[in-house]
Amino acid sequence: MSALTAFFYETYHLGLRTTRRFVRVPANWISIIFFPLVQLLVFSQLYKDIVQLPGFGGESSYLAYLAPGQVAFAGLMAVAWSGYGLLVEFRSGYLDKLRAYPISRWSILAGEMVPLFFQAAAMAAVILVVSVFLGATLVTGVGGFVLILVLTGAFGVAFAGSSFIPALLTKSEQATSTISLLLFPLMFMSTAFVPKALMPGWMQVVNDWNPVTYLIEAMRALMITGYDWGAIGKAVLSLVILGTILQAVTLWAFQRLAR
Amino acid sequence: MRAYDGPAIETEGLVKIYRGGTRALDDVSLEVAPGELFGLLGPNGAGKTTAIRVLATLLRATAGTARVVGLDVVTQAVEVRRRLGLAMQNPTLDAFSTGRETLELAGRLQGMAAAAVRRRSDELLELMGLSSVAKKLAGTYSGGMKRRLDVAAALVHCPELLILDEPTEGLDPQSRTALWEELERINASGTTMLLTTHYMEEADRLCSRVAIIDYGRIVVDGAPGALKQGIGADTVVLQIESDGAADLGVVAEPAGANSDGAGAGAPSDPVVLVRRLLEGMVAPGAVIAHPVGVSLAVPNANAAVPALLRRLESDGLRVTGLQVTQPTLDDVFMKYTGRRIREEAADQPLLLGW
Repeated sequence: MSALTAFFYETYHLGLRTTRRFVRVPANWISIIFFPLVQLLVFSQLYKDIVQLPGFGGESSYLAYLAPGQVAFAGLMAVAWSGYGLLVEFRSGYLDKLRAYPISRWSILAGEMVPLFFQAAAMAAVILVVSVFLGATLVTGVGGFVLILVLTGAFGVAFAGSSFIPALLTKSEQATSTISLLLFPLMFMSTAFVPKALMPGWMQVVNDWNPVTYLIEAMRALMITGYDWGAIGKAVLSLVILGTILQAVTLWAFQRLAR
Repeated sequence: MRAYDGPAIETEGLVKIYRGGTRALDDVSLEVAPGELFGLLGPNGAGKTTAIRVLATLLRATAGTARVVGLDVVTQAVEVRRRLGLAMQNPTLDAFSTGRETLELAGRLQGMAAAAVRRRSDELLELMGLSSVAKKLAGTYSGGMKRRLDVAAALVHCPELLILDEPTEGLDPQSRTALWEELERINASGTTMLLTTHYMEEADRLCSRVAIIDYGRIVVDGAPGALKQGIGADTVVLQIESDGAADLGVVAEPAGANSDGAGAGAPSDPVVLVRRLLEGMVAPGAVIAHPVGVSLAVPNANAAVPALLRRLESDGLRVTGLQVTQPTLDDVFMKYTGRRIREEAADQPLLLGW
C-alpha cells in the first residue's frame, strides 16, 4: 500500500467508527436538527409578511426565502459539536491509544473530520425535505438537491476547524462549546433571514466577508430560480478559502497536541 | 514465524525527564526474553507507565535506547507498532462500538484483511468469554468485560509482545482471577508479555520474572521465588504464655535475667526472654516484638520450628499459637527500598504528549 492508499484506508475505517458514534446517539442529531427546524417553522410564520419589504425583490414566500439559510444552519450545527467529541476521545485516552497503531496521525484527524461531510449533508437533507414538504420550492429538482447537500457537506469539512481549533488549543469542553456558540452570529449576519439591502451598513460589510452568505446565496438560487453557476462558483471559492485557512490552523494545533 | 530470536525487550540506560524536571525514569536497563511473562512492579509514580509509554512508541525517552523485538522504538516506531499489542491502564474503548466492531477496527488498523479479521475476532471473543455480548456496545460492559475486550483488541494481530499497564487495576477479585487465567493462557501460547502492577500477589502469581522499580530506578530483578529466597528467612510468629502465670516476668525472674546485657527492656520482656531461651539457635537480632507475642526470622522455618518449640516448652514457656509465613514480594520490596508498597490507586494515566 502506498502512503496515500493507506491514508484513505485508515481514514475510511476510523471514519466509520466516528459515524457510528454520531448515529448511535440520537441526542446528537436531534439537537442538531432541532434549532434550524424550529426557526424554519416559527420564523416562516412569524415573519410571513416581511417579504413585502422592498429589499426582498418581489419574493412572495418568506418560507422559500428562509429555507436555504436553515439548511446551511443545519450544516453549521453539525460542525459545532464535533470538537467536543474529539475532546472526549482525547480525554478518555482513545486518541492516545490510536497512536500506538501503525497508522498515520493524519488519518486520525481525517477520521474525525471527513465524516462531518456526511453528517452535515444528512442534517441538511432533513431540513431541505421538511422545507419542501412545508411548501418551499426546489426548482432544480434532484440535481439541485444533490448539489445543495454536497455544498453543505463541503461547508461542514471546511468549517470543522471552528470547533476543532478551540478543542485542540484549549482542551476544555466548556471553552469549545462556548466558542462554537459564539459563531452562531455568523448565521444572523448573513443573508439567511433578510437580504443585504435591509441590513445596517456595518453589517453589510460583515456580510460581504461572510462565507455563509455565499453558501446560502448559491443554495437559494438552486431552490428558487435555477442553476446560477456564478453564485455556485462564489460559494465554492469562499469554502476553499475558509477551508484552507481553518484546516491549516487545525493541522498546526493537532501537531502541537501530538508533540 | 518469529524471524528474530533476540530479546523481546531490551533497554539501555533509559532516562525520561519531564518538563518541570520530574525524573520519571533514571537509567533503566531491562532485558526480557521471548516467551517471558515479565512484571514491572512498583508503587505509584515509580515510573512504570512512563517505561511502558516509551516502549510502546508513545513517548520519547530523554536518553538511552529501547528495542522491541530488535527494533528501535524511535527510528523504527511503525514496525514496533505492528509487532506490539498495548492495553492501557484504563480500558480505552469506544463506548459506541460493539465488542466485535472494536476488535474488527483494531484488526483493520493493523492492516489485516477483512476475512482474517472476522476469523480472529470470533476466536478472541470466544477466548475472552465475550461471544454472548459481541453485539452489545462496549459502553454497556462491566469493568471486567471492558478489560477483557481491551486485551483482546491488543491481541487481534497476534503481536509478538503484549504490553499491559496495570491490567487488573480496579477489578473485583473474581474478575481479577479470571483475567489472570486468560493472561496465563495467552502467555502459554507463546506471547511474550510485559505487565506493570503494584499488586504484589499479581506479580507473584503471574510473572516468571519481575523487576522492582522505585523512583524510576530498577532496584532488583529476578524470578519471584529467587527474590523471596534472597530475603534468607521465613517469619515465625509465636503467641506465648508463661507456665502457670499470666505474667511472663514471673517465669523470667527466677532465671536470673538480663544476662545478655542487651538492655533491650525489662527482664519480663518476652523478646528478651525468647532471645535468651533460643540462644545458639536463633540470632538475638532475629527476634523482635510482635502484637501477639514475638516474631522470629528463621531460615527454612518448616524444618526448624519443631526444635524451637521443644526448647521453648522445656524452659517453661507455653506457645499457644504459631504462624509460619514465607517472605512475600512485599518483603523483597521492603528490603530493597526500605518501604512498603502502598496498595492504593495506581499511577494516573499520563496525558502528557497528547
